[in-house]
Parts: sequence; structure tokens; C-alpha cells
Amino acid sequence: MSGTLLDVSHVSKIFTRGGLFSSRRIVAVNDVSFRIEAGKPEIFTIIGESGSGKTTLSRMILNIEHPSRGRLAFDGVDLAMVRSNADRMAFMHKVQPIFQNPFEAFNPLKQLDRYLFMTSRRFHGEGDPAAIELAVDGALRKVGLSLKEIRHRYPHELSGGQLQRVAIARALLADPKLIVADEPVSMVDASLRMSIVNLFKTLRDDLGISIVYVTHDLATAYYISDRIIIMQKGSVVESGDARAVLSAPQHPYSRQLRDAVLLPGVATAASPQT
Amino acid sequence: MTTAAPASLADTRQPDSDRPILVVRNLQAHFRTSHFGVNRYVRAVDGISFDVRRGEIYGLAGESSSGKTTLVKTIAGAIKPPLEVVGGTIEFSFLPGYGGLHRAPPAEVARIRWRHLSYIMQGSMNVLNPVRRLRKSFDDFARPHIAGTGKQFEAAVIDHLARVKLEPSVLAAYPHELSGGMRQRATIALATICRPDFVIADEPTTALDVVVQKDVLGMIRGIQREIGSSMLFVTHDMGVHAWLTDRLGIMYAGRLVEEAATPEIFRNPLHPYTKHLIASLPRIGDDTPRKGLEGAPPNLADPPPGCRFHPRCPLAMEVCSRRVPDMIETAPGHRVACFAVNGSEAP
Repeated sequence: MSGTLLDVSHVSKIFTRGGLFSSRRIVAVNDVSFRIEAGKPEIFTIIGESGSGKTTLSRMILNIEHPSRGRLAFDGVDLAMVRSNADRMAFMHKVQPIFQNPFEAFNPLKQLDRYLFMTSRRFHGEGDPAAIELAVDGALRKVGLSLKEIRHRYPHELSGGQLQRVAIARALLADPKLIVADEPVSMVDASLRMSIVNLFKTLRDDLGISIVYVTHDLATAYYISDRIIIMQKGSVVESGDARAVLSAPQHPYSRQLRDAVLLPGVATAASPQT
Repeated sequence: MTTAAPASLADTRQPDSDRPILVVRNLQAHFRTSHFGVNRYVRAVDGISFDVRRGEIYGLAGESSSGKTTLVKTIAGAIKPPLEVVGGTIEFSFLPGYGGLHRAPPAEVARIRWRHLSYIMQGSMNVLNPVRRLRKSFDDFARPHIAGTGKQFEAAVIDHLARVKLEPSVLAAYPHELSGGMRQRATIALATICRPDFVIADEPTTALDVVVQKDVLGMIRGIQREIGSSMLFVTHDMGVHAWLTDRLGIMYAGRLVEEAATPEIFRNPLHPYTKHLIASLPRIGDDTPRKGLEGAPPNLADPPPGCRFHPRCPLAMEVCSRRVPDMIETAPGHRVACFAVNGSEAP
């Protein structure tokens, strides 16, 4: 199927703070537009520092937050029209989130395999237990784990990297077309970080899933992204091919971000002045 | 080791530059938990030895739960149950003869606090009292350590704030009125106003945005150079280490596995864990694929025997699961704890 998978057109989000007489308007996202084509899986990265509106934008793509202005459409369906339970289920079938902190994403008192079984039953209906186990095991194998390792385990028994993989496996159970990952590696240990980042590449190449990757880390963004947008105070200041943008940023803010990256290796040559 | 307690503050400040300012030897700090009469020990710091020289920034790197914060807490004397110091000594050159802040009498600790030893902590909001204006915080922390009248003190504070590019007007502000970067700069000013000999910085820039982070790091460096302090700088971010520190120690699962001058670590890492850590850093302008490390960091309540890295190590040999490798100097100033590198297999 060709066409547009995700169409974000002129989207703004304004939060109002305060009471009737002294309200303040905060423009979290200001007139952002981009598209992700169907049938051409890619990793689309949103870069920005805290307060730049990148998380608000990703929440609007997940339909948790509704835009104040503009329109988001997924697979030709306007997200504002997704209201009924059936519509929401259909939407969640296609778009799945991965959150920043895997330790907070799971209930510490609940065994991890139960999450996976629940998700599987939710999207594929009650089937015989063997079929469900097979589906769960299949999803875990895609992320380099297996049901044998996860069965009856609690979140505290696994490392951050493993938990994040379980979170990804859970998202994969729905057979999504788009995964929205909000800072998925910032809470993961350094030695495991790259395996998660590489996993996103595998998802794109082998399973044909598009990924919206939200981050403040320019180095991993350069490593995996196909296209990026750089956000500052709610507006997109620069967008385009990831390599082109990050190798030769044009906008002053992008250049500032790029210069603030502490590059190991070259760093010692450009050490700070006394 | 000097015997007599110093007569005055001025005496302790004499630079004997060849002697390290901090000597840590075989330090062991464990968390003890007791459930139903069964004692379990979490060996968060297990046999660490290193020196910090005068006027240098010594970096400590390691992932979460590698014990770096516990090490820093132990050195700073913030030891509360369930944390216990099981063995080893910590010698500051300005606090000789006690073997650590936790063994020194309270009067001695009060003498060196802030004047000789101060801290920059991670959450700047937690350091500054939220219901007191910044001026009061400076009074609380630093006034007892600085001689002179109130006017002189205020002039010194304003003078010092200028070093971190803060206006005198911030003294009248409450912490919530300042941005994160300004608050962190205020805590840096607070920690360095008494010109301490030794500053402990635990992840001071982790909570800051990338753009602000570089400014703050530059200021830390500038002040450190100006007042000639030594610094123990802890962060998991290798980019920060490369940019800021003079020497670097890499921690893994409660032990130091490698130590060398920072450029040397980046140019020529020897321990397989360090090698992996540096090779896996993505760089802008470099498209070669990076690999993650298999397995997970060990549980410190039940660490693997021998070298704690051996279950994940590509070079693991039979000896690695039996014996703990010692830190051995392979080149001047470059110490590594690894059998595969040192070849020290003789029993």
C-alpha cells in the first residue's frame, strides 16, 4: 500500500496555565508539519532539548494529547475522529509507544510475562494458550530474548536493557506499523545502549516498521536516523536528511547543539582553555 | 604521614606537590541488609585503590550500579547504615592519620568541611534550600568558614559569583526563580567560595541540557584552574570525561578495572570493558556499526567469582573465573586489572 502513513500538518499545541484572570499561554508545539510515507520504513528523529516540545509532539502522534490547531492523520484517518473503543483499538494496533524509563513502565509487583499475554489476548483475541505463548515467544525472539528467560520474572530481576527489550516486544505483539519511542535509551546502561539502538535498525530493515525516535542525543540520532527535525521552543528550526543536517547544520541553534556535543577522541585536542 | 595536628589553617595549605592529596587504599564499603536473621552483603565498593594528585581532575566512569556514587559517599564520609566501611583507608593530606572522614573526630571534620573539602552534587535543587533566598544559603554554608565582616563576606560572594557569570542580583532570588543552569552555577560558586583544596563532583551536569552542560563544565574547569583545587569528578558520560578530566578511572561492578591519563584511555584502552565502552560511542560523521555488549551487569549481592567482567568478556580464560586480577601497571601511569592484558597468570 502506498500513500502516507503519518501526516502531521500545521500542528500546534497550546497549554493554558493559571486561572480565569491571570492565565498564561504556553505554546508547546508551534506549527509543525511532516509526513512519513507508507511502504518506505524509516527512522524519523525528533531532536531538541528539554522544553522544546518534542515529547508533546510525540504524545500527539500517540493520540494521548490532542492538537490545539492543525491535523494529524494516520493511514488516512484523522486522529480527532478516533473516538470509539473499536477505533482506538484499531489505532493502537498500528501505533505503539515505547517510553523512556523501563523501570517505571512496568508494575513492579506484576510478572512480566503477564503483560505480554494480556497484550496478545487484547489484540488477537482469546485463543488457545499454546497459540498465545507461541506469539509471545515469537515477539521476544525478535528482540533477542525468549519466553523461557522472561517467564515468571519480575521487573527488578532484569536489567534496564532487558526490560526495554521486553517493552519493545510488547509493542511488537500488536504488529504495529509505527513505533513512537520517547528517549528509549537514556535510562539504559552504556554497555547495553547500542544493542537497543541496533534493535531499532533491525525492526526497520527486517520488519518494515517505521520509528519516530525522540531524543536529545545527537550522536545516536546520527547513528540510526534517516531523517531528522530539530525543534527549539516548539518550532522546527531545521529538518532534512539526518546525515546532511548533522554534518553541516545551517540554523544557528542546530549549530549550537552540534557544537555542544562533547566528542570523545577529538575532545582532547580541543580541550577547554584555562 | 605527618604526626602532629596542624597548628593553623595556613599550615595545611602549603603545597607539597609531589604528595597526592587523596590516597585511597583497598577500600571496601558494603551495604548490609538483614532479612529474617540472614545477612546479605552488597559489595558496592570492593577493594579500590587510587590516588588523586594535587591540582588534577580525576574522573571516575562506570555505568549505573557500578558503585561510583557509593565510592564518592564513602570518601566524603557520608556513611549511614546500611552502608558500612568494611576495610581500607582513605587519607586526605589535610586530614592525616585518621584513615577517613568517618573515623575522624567531629571537630576535625568540621575544621576541614568546606574549607578543605566541598561537594558539587547532582540535583542542584536539593542543595539549595527552596524557602531561603540564595544570600541566606551562602550565609548558611560559607559564612562560618570565612573571616571578616559581613560586608567583606558579601563582596567576596559577589566577586566569586562573577566567576560563574552570575549577576549579584541572584543573591536576592529564591532557587525556583533561577533556571537549572543558573542553579547549578550557583552551587558551583557555593562549593568553591572557600577555595577548597579538594572538590567532589558527583554527576554535576547530568540533569542539564546539552547546550548548558558545556558552559557549566567550562566554568568548573576555569574555577578549578584558578583556585588550584583537586577534583574528583564522577559521571557516566564518557564525552564529559574526554573533555574535562586529566586522569580517568573506569569502574565495573564495584572495582576499578583500568586507570590512566584520559587521552591515553581514549587512545589506547586495554581492558576489554573499557575497549567496548569507547568503541561503542557513536560519533557524528562516523557510520561504522556499533555493537552492544552481551549480558547484563552483575548483581553485586551475588557477584561472579574471580574477575567480575568474565561472564561478558570476549577474552575470558579459565583463570578469570577463579582469581581476581590485580591492578598492574602496564605502562607508566596506566594500570589495568585483566589477566588477558597483563599475562599475570602465575598463581
